[in-house]
Amino acid sequence: MPTYVLNINDRTVSVDAAADTPLLWVLRDELELKGTKYGCGKSQCGACTILMNGNAVRSCSLPVTAATKVKITTIEGLSPDGKHPLQQAWMELDVPQCGYCQAGQIMSAAALLARKPNPSDADIDAAMSGNICRCGTYNRVRLAIKRAAEKKGGKS
Amino acid sequence: MRKFNAQEQLGIEAGLLPTEIQRRDFLKLSGLSVAGLLIGIGPAKGATAPEEKPFEPNAFLSIQPDGRIILFSKNPEIGQGIKTSLPQLIAEELEVDWKSVEVRQAPLDNRYGAQFAGGSTGIKTNFVAVRTAGAAAREMLIEAAARRWQISLDQCFARNGFVIRKDTNEQLSYASLATAAAKLNVRENPVLKSRKDFRIIGQSIPGVDNAQIVTGKAEFGLDARPRGMRVAFIERCPVFGGKIKAVDDSAALAIAGVEQVIRIEPTKNPTQLVAGVAVIASNTWAAMKGRKALRIEWDLPAELPESDEALRSRFEKSLESTEVLRDDGNVIDSLAKCKIVHEATFEAPFLAHAPMEPQNYIADVQADKADLWGPTQVPGSVRQRAAEITGLPPNKINVRMTRVGGGFGRRLMADYACEAIYLSKTIGKPVQVVWTREDDLQHDFYRPAGLFKLKAGLDENGQLVSWHLKATTTSRYVFAGSSSPAYQTEVFPDGFPAGFVKNFRMEYAPTSSPVPRGAWRAPGHNITAWVDQCFIDEMAQKAGKDPVDFRLELLGEEDRLMPYSDHGGPVYSTRRLKNVIRLAAEKSNWRQAAPKGIYRGFAAHFMFGAYIAEVVSLSLKEDGTPKVERVVVAADCGLVINKSGALNQLEGGIIDGLSSALRQAIHITKGRVQEQNFDDYPLLRMKDAPPVEIFLVESEEDPEGMGEMTLPPLAAALCNALFAATGKRIRKLPIQSRDRVTT
Repeated sequence: MPTYVLNINDRTVSVDAAADTPLLWVLRDELELKGTKYGCGKSQCGACTILMNGNAVRSCSLPVTAATKVKITTIEGLSPDGKHPLQQAWMELDVPQCGYCQAGQIMSAAALLARKPNPSDADIDAAMSGNICRCGTYNRVRLAIKRAAEKKGGKS
Repeated sequence: MRKFNAQEQLGIEAGLLPTEIQRRDFLKLSGLSVAGLLIGIGPAKGATAPEEKPFEPNAFLSIQPDGRIILFSKNPEIGQGIKTSLPQLIAEELEVDWKSVEVRQAPLDNRYGAQFAGGSTGIKTNFVAVRTAGAAAREMLIEAAARRWQISLDQCFARNGFVIRKDTNEQLSYASLATAAAKLNVRENPVLKSRKDFRIIGQSIPGVDNAQIVTGKAEFGLDARPRGMRVAFIERCPVFGGKIKAVDDSAALAIAGVEQVIRIEPTKNPTQLVAGVAVIASNTWAAMKGRKALRIEWDLPAELPESDEALRSRFEKSLESTEVLRDDGNVIDSLAKCKIVHEATFEAPFLAHAPMEPQNYIADVQADKADLWGPTQVPGSVRQRAAEITGLPPNKINVRMTRVGGGFGRRLMADYACEAIYLSKTIGKPVQVVWTREDDLQHDFYRPAGLFKLKAGLDENGQLVSWHLKATTTSRYVFAGSSSPAYQTEVFPDGFPAGFVKNFRMEYAPTSSPVPRGAWRAPGHNITAWVDQCFIDEMAQKAGKDPVDFRLELLGEEDRLMPYSDHGGPVYSTRRLKNVIRLAAEKSNWRQAAPKGIYRGFAAHFMFGAYIAEVVSLSLKEDGTPKVERVVVAADCGLVINKSGALNQLEGGIIDGLSSALRQAIHITKGRVQEQNFDDYPLLRMKDAPPVEIFLVESEEDPEGMGEMTLPPLAAALCNALFAATGKRIRKLPIQSRDRVTT
């Protein structure tokens, strides 16, 4: 099996995997980074969202071969101490229900805030509509993104 | 009247209840049995040093000599917030600071009584029992302190993890009292706190796992990883009821990482194993690829394959020979005399549950024991199935509960756990069975589909004097081979407007189908509230009356307790129902004309003990499809345990109601499900999620559930609002059906 060198959460790791393995399963099975979730396997639900060079990407549809020579960030690497403004806002507003989709939601929101520190409702709709929450926490997700944006003082 | 039995209503097997309780290990709390629940009180397991003992008067809590206070949550956490709200009940009575407690998920253990998530019963059936566990501990800690101070019990009290001496204000921490309290006799009849003294119950307390969830550390079923675990994906017969004819697994076995291919023969009971071929591999991707490489020839059932069209004609046929469930007055004579008679036919499709975490389960079956992990609403059923499959005694089967990535009723079924148990037993290694989203949508136990024919009449004063419902559904009890009547949890003979219409008849007939059916959030109600509340709206319009006034008139001035033989009974209160109707009308400014371009619809419903009224406000987009602008909800669910959690649940029901009413349907062609993934089984997304305003009635009544109640009226309020906007009635769901678009 070929070996791939990846940069994940500011660490360089090498993994043995079949070339067509989606990054999702490399993260979960090989690197024990299980915060990134499987939900649909075809970029429909966003549960597997990670950041690739700061952009939100669905890792279920990204082969490991396309994940080299880029900077990958997973939910585990979003902040060193779990205190990213989004993570704090999520806790303050008690967003999760079952919680399964929330890592993906937060990663999509992180990419949004990095790009647009003060997102409008339309920006939030556009950035977040690729992430399904079956429990229906959308309104709290929206509020939490706004809360985090306020806390950051509009700085990315 | 038939007595309500929550487990029976839910179709949960008797295996959930501890049948082999070893009495000597437990101390029954006399007089505190709730809904038949036995409270096992006995020391938790675990060796400790003789001098420093943790205080564990029952299985619900542990106070360590180092000061840690650990509370155990007995039921599966499926997103309903029970892992926070049940421990709140313990902490309240134990008199500890919420910030000082550590909450842990309990495993399946007979000492907890029934452990399951279903029917929105977790709080209501444990409200007394779980508090009693906390109160017993509190009284024992007070007794330990009183003995140390050599004063009487009433000279001290407990607060925030300390026992305080009234005369001197001296304090002893629970930690310092743990060893002494552990030696005392367990309190059997502790005094529960008065509701006015509640400090933790009723607060908004964030979910106990939130910090884990937002950092990706929370463990769901899919995340558990016992050493040596293999991964299995299973190709199941796409046509319901089929069998395996031949398998060519050569290509699958050639894939690196694939280790074995195992045939699974169907069990007689279709809720356990269906025909399938499992590919077992050392990692997920290899198993997925191996499964795709299988070549399987299926032996398909001989009878004509199921289809939507065939089912529709069988529905019509079923309605020719129904059972009368309720017959007040004389509906036929009355309809003949009515000034206005109106009739309509309503159709509801199969629905899939589609929880975000696809089905998965891990089993490690060994010669003398089995360890099981995974997302389930019914750990007791899983243990029962495991005992049957492995032949091991139940006490050698350890069922661990992970967080569950959504339930909605799907995980009341243990089929996917059966697969893992069977495969692990067969290969002698720990196995995780994982389903793809396609597997999930194609092999669900679907919300029953149904056809409802209504005919009603108004007298010369516009009074509703006649109501005749003929209903048929693909009853889930018939599918599961349950001994419960086919109509139960499909239609509700005591539900509004029964009892308020002089001539009222309800008839029902089940329709068979090979399509598997199960409980789907708010079983039965998720269709009946739509049908009843849409048709009430139609009759109000025929009577020329405001829909809110029409409902209030029917309910009458006088407050009554109406007999209600189903889950949530034995009675319901018209006072509470009228109250939420008025509250929703007031908060939505129903009495004022809607702003230009905004159209409103109303619905109200009683279920599972809770009272809900909803107003949907919508506008029409250029293409004529609705944009829901706002939903106003008035809810009386009794005493609220956790305000933030309650609002989250109630809002979730609204979003789910909208999601399913707008676009969801499972279509059957040639005996199989057509929908594959979220692209053809669309769930509501952020851009379509309206603001939801929820008004909770401050209530002194006992707590009811929160997880299901707001869903059923939503579809009706939405369709009624669409009528206001377009003048057209929606009598077939979903509203934006793929087959409707083409017609």
